[in-house]
Amino acid sequence: MRAPLDAKVWLEGMAGCGKTTVGLSRVIGLLERGAPADSILIFVPQRSMALPYIAALRGRQAYRGGQVWLQTIGSLSLRMVEMFWFLVAAEAGFKRPRELPNFLSLELVQYFMTRAIEPLVDERDYFASVRIDRPRLYSQIVDNMNKAALVGFPISEIGSRLKAALANGVEQAHIYDDAQTCAMAFREYCLARNLLDFSLQLEVFRDYVWATPQARAYLRGRCKHLIVDGVEEDNPASHLFLSDLLETCESALIIYDRDAGFRRFLGADPASARRLRDSCELKATLDETLVMGAQVTALGAQLAAQLGASVAGEGDVDPRPALIAEAQRYHPEMVDWVARQVDMLVNERDASPNDIVILAPFLSDALRFGLADGLARLGIPVRSHRPSRALRDEPAARTLLTLARLAHPRWALPPTDFDVVFALMTAIKDLDLVRAKLLTEMLYRQGRLLPFSEVRSTAMQARVTFDLGERYDRLASWLNRYLEDERSDAIDIFFRRLFGGLLSRAGFGFYADVDASNTAQNLVDSARGFRWSLDFMRRYEADIDLGLDYVNMVDRGVIANFYLRDWIADAEEGVLIAPAYTFLLNNRPVDYQFWLNIGSEGWSRRLYQPLTHPYVLSRGWTAGRMWTDDDEQHLSRETLGRLLLALTRRCRKAVYLGYSELSESGYEGRGLLLETIQALLRRYARAGQHV
Amino acid sequence: MSLSADFAFTQGSLQDYADCARRFELRFIKRLRYPALETQEPLQFEKRTRQGVRFHKLVQQHLHGVPAEALTASLADDGELAGWWATYLARGLTGLPAARYPEITLQTQLAGRRLVAKYDLLALAPGGAAVIVDWKTGARAPSKAYLSGRMQTVVYRYVLAQAGAHLYAGESIPPERIQMDYVFVAAGGARLSLNYSAAQMGEDEALLSGMIAAIERADAFALTDDVRRCRFCSYRSLCDRGAPGQLEEFDLDEYENEDEEEALSLDFDQIAEIEF
Repeated sequence: MRAPLDAKVWLEGMAGCGKTTVGLSRVIGLLERGAPADSILIFVPQRSMALPYIAALRGRQAYRGGQVWLQTIGSLSLRMVEMFWFLVAAEAGFKRPRELPNFLSLELVQYFMTRAIEPLVDERDYFASVRIDRPRLYSQIVDNMNKAALVGFPISEIGSRLKAALANGVEQAHIYDDAQTCAMAFREYCLARNLLDFSLQLEVFRDYVWATPQARAYLRGRCKHLIVDGVEEDNPASHLFLSDLLETCESALIIYDRDAGFRRFLGADPASARRLRDSCELKATLDETLVMGAQVTALGAQLAAQLGASVAGEGDVDPRPALIAEAQRYHPEMVDWVARQVDMLVNERDASPNDIVILAPFLSDALRFGLADGLARLGIPVRSHRPSRALRDEPAARTLLTLARLAHPRWALPPTDFDVVFALMTAIKDLDLVRAKLLTEMLYRQGRLLPFSEVRSTAMQARVTFDLGERYDRLASWLNRYLEDERSDAIDIFFRRLFGGLLSRAGFGFYADVDASNTAQNLVDSARGFRWSLDFMRRYEADIDLGLDYVNMVDRGVIANFYLRDWIADAEEGVLIAPAYTFLLNNRPVDYQFWLNIGSEGWSRRLYQPLTHPYVLSRGWTAGRMWTDDDEQHLSRETLGRLLLALTRRCRKAVYLGYSELSESGYEGRGLLLETIQALLRRYARAGQHV
Repeated sequence: MSLSADFAFTQGSLQDYADCARRFELRFIKRLRYPALETQEPLQFEKRTRQGVRFHKLVQQHLHGVPAEALTASLADDGELAGWWATYLARGLTGLPAARYPEITLQTQLAGRRLVAKYDLLALAPGGAAVIVDWKTGARAPSKAYLSGRMQTVVYRYVLAQAGAHLYAGESIPPERIQMDYVFVAAGGARLSLNYSAAQMGEDEALLSGMIAAIERADAFALTDDVRRCRFCSYRSLCDRGAPGQLEEFDLDEYENEDEEEALSLDFDQIAEIEF
């Protein structure tokens, strides 16, 4: 904190020692000393890590001036490529350098990947032996390309690197060859159409934009004071850029967490980050925890030590009082036990729900629902956090998509009876399931909704009620009029017209419904983004039907499979339910942690990714080496050791272990976390017998 | 329900409040996103909006050193936009001070809240003039009296006077040095300049503080009585205020939807949120 504000400082230490607090006080110090706010760049590996800075800056009442920059390598490279596009597009190999670039969101990358390589995959029977669905397969090809850009090797080397380290036999080698061919085909496709996926955006920034005097003058002129938090979670491309910027900025603070680097699957490289240390004239260390109690400190250190890590703080302290566990036979019993323990902490020990997290390696919908429901019944607020949420599963979005199918018979995608029942129930206020089913059975014929007057039986009309029948008629006639007028609105315009013209009116399901309106807006944004990125495709494929393509892609889970706006839900109050790594990257300590499914292999094993590999495609990998089973085992132990250390360093009081003999899917789990904890407890039990 | 603790006022949110308190409540307190159409010609409306966004980007690129010829070459498919661009190149920067800051955001504090202004261009000569330039791409140039009363004029001049010192050699900018120029590139580059004064600044401060205080203490937000203001409001169906208006009656320069701006910029941070 006392380091001069005009120095370049490297600050390292373990989690929970106040490093980010130092970062915050430095920003405030710079502003108080009169540094213009827009000369300060706060650089983080992902947006969630900037939240403490945003909160601190917004909370500063007396502050006047410009705005502090908050950037990630993704947001910065996007901004810079967009700004200087016309200086570099031709040199970077784009075939239409005088036209605008099309930056692709993740869902659009998946869409274009499907268009670009699916014919190739089908025609040549690529990936025949890989048993995962196409979207996951394509996302691994995208992942390989992103890693190449982040680590800094050409995408043409992806296949050879994977083969050299991992190929056991001809079949495996073919898979990596296929992955290489697809990556190259996708890159050619993008260059021909001015499409930029994340990997290409980053390469264009690193290799072309950053080389222009205009871009350098712009960034160097602006970024006089640099604050980098979580540099160990960032990738070599970021480190290279920061290293350059360090040469010209007036001051810097680089914050490095010693035992982290969790985002390896996204290119995090702590060893590469550490090289920035040499560019700083002052080095400081913080190693005194401001978070953990002695028993939690000992717990983390001893668990990590059992997994082979050498960690200070193991000491003689018995960690068992900080470790609470109770074995259950069945998974639902474990969920109930967790809810009861949380209830006890909140209502008997006055714990704040905000200071409790429930963590699992993966968070299934069933587990999330079971926990949220159990805690809600006890009156305890809950917030949930997971990376993706399917927009198409939201009732309002499903309804709009079903009605779109009804209005576009040329797509030849008539909705099922079940979908029509659901859509009617959601679209018409107060229409219950029974009446919705009756209406569907009587009036949904050959992909169209017939008018209510087609119900001949007066008894049946009365059963539905004339009021609901009248509103049904308004919906049916709106759709039929759209059909008869032979309108061909863009799909997002269709959604908006239907929303504003009918569904949001009094008597219909979206009227004054905040959730439905927000979901409808999300769907419109997604469909509009799709249209904007594809309009130009008509130059290449005149018969493309964007509406049909959009609905097809939604059905396949490629588009609208998640939506970013719903991710930013951090301000809510309540017990957090999240995957373990998501919690870590939010970087907020709590009093109590619940670790669930401790028998699961998911705590230590990598995801099954047959087409990619985070270590082999990393900067530190030695060319010519083979990845062995020993490497895999060593990695599992090291990964778990780091994870447990990181979790306990964000825990003040105690860890509760959720264990059921039979897992969620009914199998007995004997994963490495369970084994490690049992070994620790056995050691203490033996020591107790000797006393 | 009230404003979130970190809410920042902008000219857009204050203009919404001035036009219709109910719209302000729906958009900024209830944070209701509402996708109903603004006009009966949505694609033409969108085309004009995107042309406006693109024009602002072109100016920004130019002022950051991208040669005008490279930018001009990119406009072959849009004659209208090329015309605006030619007007900008011919007259857009004439007579402006040399220190130029395109797309810059300043903020100050007022009545316990942040007040933020995002400028198209600030052109300053420390000790001399401080010019705010706002590019307008709508077909019509409104009257001076109308523009003087818009919240954009009120907020932009006030915030620059309060928060622009770091761009003015560390000295506060005297209000008399501040000038706001609206430049109508679709109307041949017509320029409408509005000067500023200490007295006007005092009045603006009273107006802005009063509006913020009124919003803070309001427990009800009334729907406007002037139904003409509803013609292009997306909440129209919620308030049962008729059908969308005709595009030809709409002044695109009044359309400053900050949500829309957000939607226009893709955010690649999401790459970091997904595990493959």
